[in-house]
Amino acid sequence: MSYRDLREFLEVLEKENQLIRVKDEVMPEPDLSAIGRSAPDMENGPAVIVEKVKGYKNSVALNVHGSWQNHALMLGLPKDTPVKDQFFELDKKWSDYPIKPVWVENAPVKEVKITTDINLFDVLPLFRVNKYDGGFYISKALIVSKDPEDPDNFEKQNAGTYRIQVKGKDLVGIQPLPFHDIAVHLRKAEERNEPLPIAICLGNDPVLNFMSSTPIEYVQSEYDFAGALKGEPIELTKSEQGNLDIPARSEVILEGYIMPRERRIEGPFGEFPGSYSGARLQPEVKIHTITHRINPIFENLYLGMPWTEIDYLMALNTSLPLFRQLKRDFPEVVAVNAMYTHGIGVIISTKSRFGGYGKSVAMRLLSTPHGMPYSKIVIVVDEFVDPFNLEQVMWALTTRVRPDKDVVLIPNAPGMPLDPSSEPAGMHTKLIIDATTPVAPDKARDTELLDVPDKVDYWMNYLRNTMRKEGDK
Amino acid sequence: MICPRCDSKNVDLLTKAPVDDAWEVYICETCCFSWRSTESDDIKDPEKYDKRFKIDSSKISSLDKIPPIPELIKKKD
Ligand SMILES: [Zn+2]
Repeated sequence: MSYRDLREFLEVLEKENQLIRVKDEVMPEPDLSAIGRSAPDMENGPAVIVEKVKGYKNSVALNVHGSWQNHALMLGLPKDTPVKDQFFELDKKWSDYPIKPVWVENAPVKEVKITTDINLFDVLPLFRVNKYDGGFYISKALIVSKDPEDPDNFEKQNAGTYRIQVKGKDLVGIQPLPFHDIAVHLRKAEERNEPLPIAICLGNDPVLNFMSSTPIEYVQSEYDFAGALKGEPIELTKSEQGNLDIPARSEVILEGYIMPRERRIEGPFGEFPGSYSGARLQPEVKIHTITHRINPIFENLYLGMPWTEIDYLMALNTSLPLFRQLKRDFPEVVAVNAMYTHGIGVIISTKSRFGGYGKSVAMRLLSTPHGMPYSKIVIVVDEFVDPFNLEQVMWALTTRVRPDKDVVLIPNAPGMPLDPSSEPAGMHTKLIIDATTPVAPDKARDTELLDVPDKVDYWMNYLRNTMRKEGDK
Repeated sequence: MICPRCDSKNVDLLTKAPVDDAWEVYICETCCFSWRSTESDDIKDPEKYDKRFKIDSSKISSLDKIPPIPELIKKKD
């Protein structure tokens, strides 16, 4: 890859015309939030560097992952690579797991070390992400913790993304949802009434943030996957305390520990389904050490009404594990698009082995670890339909669905509490739509698909070249 | 000063701006709400704070705990 960390990736984005620098001084509110909302709504979804924020020392990076162009560049692909091709490239790189990290001395993230008079506001230009958030949030952190029962096990160490609310100069709240790996670590620490050391890593190689929001297995290392995606090892170093493995080239590391058996109010916070999630009692983290690079960049993300940066970040890394789990039992499956609202909506493309096959594929999806609680609406299309192309999917819905036979409801099934339609919260009715062409013994009216005319390839090239020549004049 | 969200008087200065004395940030020790002195009135003013997001401080202790606190493991001798 042509970058090793956030700074080098920002250079790639700038060269590719995917980065805007705001040189005018802006207010923390409402400007940073408004910039984070605007950038992904632009046609090419550029990243934005805000160089000067009123009252703060350091710059802010927003929307680093917030477009398909930036996503392609993260994977080392040309920026106009179609989504489906990015999906297959990711699937290929995934097979290289694990590529083990290397540990380095003199890590850039240790250039500056703060252990007394800690004030997060001195280092980070903190701001309110959405208007009725309970405070200033760090929404794009990679958080490292170890299994207290097996602290030397590298694979059981976790690097995940959890929302962080700033509650003091050296105090933050964290949201470890019970089904996420850090909650396993916390439970074991709290059973012993011990603090859980964590490192909150900010401003990372974009591949690291991509992996930290990917639902991999408990005994798998996000760092080993990040190495596979890059085709080269990630550089790690040791934290000052707690013996954690942290990225050597992050911009800022906040080291601290979760205080055991304590909960205080956190939230509300605007979340990815486009609505606020309520206030709850959640753990708090005492920060004892900050290390950072000289002139650190604070990378954060805006999230809200889809699509925002987080939707791009969680799009293919939600789709890929589901695809691999389905493919194991149903080799006819071609691709899985689970990028709508973190997999609450899923479109599967598959060849049908026999009549009714599409429904079976959908039911398998609904019994995978992620699909069981999250996926509410599952659409199955033929193998020649691109599930990432909604125009083609609408074609399948309009020409292949017989509502009396192909639409199925499964009431009172597991749901996802952040889905505001789940009622009671955490339960919902599943909807399966089989939009595949019937195969035997199922019956359909005889239809023949239209072919493309001969010489289409020739004329597509001809027209493209002609347009390019006109553009050069 | 009063917390705009829960009307508690238990409010502290959290920090001042690192440069230029540009603003201050306050925090409510009752409901953990924080706000900046330069934000709009409908964030800072208890009268103008949106009623849908007001918090009744007497109900805070009964909110859900995420995640739940587990039983302590008894130490073996
Ligand atoms: Zn309050």
